[in-house]
Amino acid sequence: MSNLLMEIEAQIAGARTAAARQNVGSIRELGDGVAKIEGLTDAMLNEMIDLGDGVTGLVLNLEETEVGVIILGDYTQLKEGDEARTTGKLLQVPVGKSLLGRVVNVLGQPLDGKGPIKSDISYPVEKIAPGIMRRRSVDQPVQTGIMAIDAMIPIGRGQRELIIGDRATGKTTICIDTIISQAELNKAAEAAGDSSYRPLYCIYVAIGQKQSTVARVIAVLEEAGAMPYSIIVSSAASDSAANQYLVPFAGAAMGEWFMDNGMDALIVYDDLSKHAVAYRQVSLVLKRPSGREAYPGDVFYLHSRLLERAARVGEKYGNGSLTALPIIETQAGDVSAYVPTNVISITDGQIYLETDLFYQGVRPAISVGLSVSRVGSAAQLKAMKQVAGQLKGELAQFRELAQFGSDLDAKTQAQIDRGKRIMEIFKQTQYRPIPVEVQVAVIWAVQNGYVDRVPVPRVRAFQSTFMDFLVTRHVELLATIKREHTLSDALKAELKTVADAFTQTWT
Amino acid sequence: MKVNKRAKRDAKQLFHLCLVNRLLAENRVRHVVQRVVTAGRRDGPAILSHFRRLLRLDRARHTAIIESVTVVPADVQAAIEAGLMRRYGPHVTTTFAYRPALIAGVRIQVGSDVYDGSVQARLTALEKSF
Repeated sequence: MSNLLMEIEAQIAGARTAAARQNVGSIRELGDGVAKIEGLTDAMLNEMIDLGDGVTGLVLNLEETEVGVIILGDYTQLKEGDEARTTGKLLQVPVGKSLLGRVVNVLGQPLDGKGPIKSDISYPVEKIAPGIMRRRSVDQPVQTGIMAIDAMIPIGRGQRELIIGDRATGKTTICIDTIISQAELNKAAEAAGDSSYRPLYCIYVAIGQKQSTVARVIAVLEEAGAMPYSIIVSSAASDSAANQYLVPFAGAAMGEWFMDNGMDALIVYDDLSKHAVAYRQVSLVLKRPSGREAYPGDVFYLHSRLLERAARVGEKYGNGSLTALPIIETQAGDVSAYVPTNVISITDGQIYLETDLFYQGVRPAISVGLSVSRVGSAAQLKAMKQVAGQLKGELAQFRELAQFGSDLDAKTQAQIDRGKRIMEIFKQTQYRPIPVEVQVAVIWAVQNGYVDRVPVPRVRAFQSTFMDFLVTRHVELLATIKREHTLSDALKAELKTVADAFTQTWT
Repeated sequence: MKVNKRAKRDAKQLFHLCLVNRLLAENRVRHVVQRVVTAGRRDGPAILSHFRRLLRLDRARHTAIIESVTVVPADVQAAIEAGLMRRYGPHVTTTFAYRPALIAGVRIQVGSDVYDGSVQARLTALEKSF
């Protein structure tokens, strides 16, 4: 025992602790969630700063004599003259599958009261997007379950598709439908033991949304059983502008983990208009020079560096993907405003929602003429291409011809009648995505004239009954379409038999 | 006092005029202050306010504050001064101060660089690690 004590004493006597060098500054100015700190000569851009009392800051401005820091957390306890230290770390958030089913804040801390998040992996919030050589072209579909989108504006895994429209036109609903659709597909593949199916995990980022809106989204996803495949990252309207500015980057980091590990993820940014406003507020408080509409000069770069992080990476790099669905809210349908034009030019297409269509009862209120998907058609299912290839053109012709009311020749009248029925077919109840094989069968029936004899007000009833007929009595046919991805002559003949049988019985 | 961009720029120029071999020349500083005051410019106080801030930061960069709980023996003081001069050059002035809050050990600050070997710092680090 005495030997042991002597050994310990000898070790204590020989112990040397070196004082590590720290970089320290003092708060010179504090207000509006921003601190100006003198000193901190070693501070890096986007470095986390320890402000004491468990409060963290993020360096956004590096100036000659001071640094501008945005404060993450409660800054009311800080005061002028307090010490601040560099940490040498960039802002990081926890990532991984343990976040699935959780609601977290900008720092990845739980907001749902379900206990701590068990994740030992962190990703930096700001990360350089995958380079050209790491990427491959988009060739796998994201089945949104919304017939108008899957048929005419298809989205591929790794694509960035903007959803744009005025307030209350159903932008968020489209995204929630897509998330529910992915959950249903994931569950179906799990139940069938289909190992070839690549599950698509979803991340919903709420930026400056009302808490009640976020709560409603969570309730819808929970009801639909989509939460086990989803992550919700929220910075509500009551959060600081700094948090709202950072939250989409935190969500992107969580999505990138899936992409880097060979999985597929989809991220919804709801919405980037509020994000730009939050960034404008931060920039103005930091006294950065303002430009058009008082936005800072780098508001384009803000969104381009965020959306560039969505990608499909090559086989060599794991074959993962991150699909982005950014949302932009327009004012009185003005798509030529500053932020909407920026984001339109960055993304690979847009789904434009019109208020007029919404109030006419066309829901989802997708304006087919203004909506486009620049890369998604390469990812569209061949069967869908076969049946829906002509749809967009037919609807465009319908819009042109619908202006002429009387004295029309039979062919023109038939085109108008077909257009009216297609418009009805594309109306869809919210939160009820339609499987792609059912969509193919329905559109095939429309294209082959089975709906032409149905009066327009009854088209939806016809569609609904036909879908039930298919799902309950012709499961094998649907499974074949899903499995083969293309409509062979034999399948077309079988579809014809089924459609004939249905039209004979339907009244 | 509101210091606008122009006053800041002028103060910075004046500050650079006061440097000789990247070191502040005190006689030049006094001369500059006198000239600005006598010139009677409307933004003179703002210029001098920012000029003073630049001087304070420069002084901090060239001053080492050595804090301890007890009086540091002369040989240790000399060793610390020699070490600081090796690292920061010969123009660092050292100031020794008494700070009981450190509990034990020494804390040295040169500009924004801090070498904290005090017991207080270690206790804080320990607290954070929990």
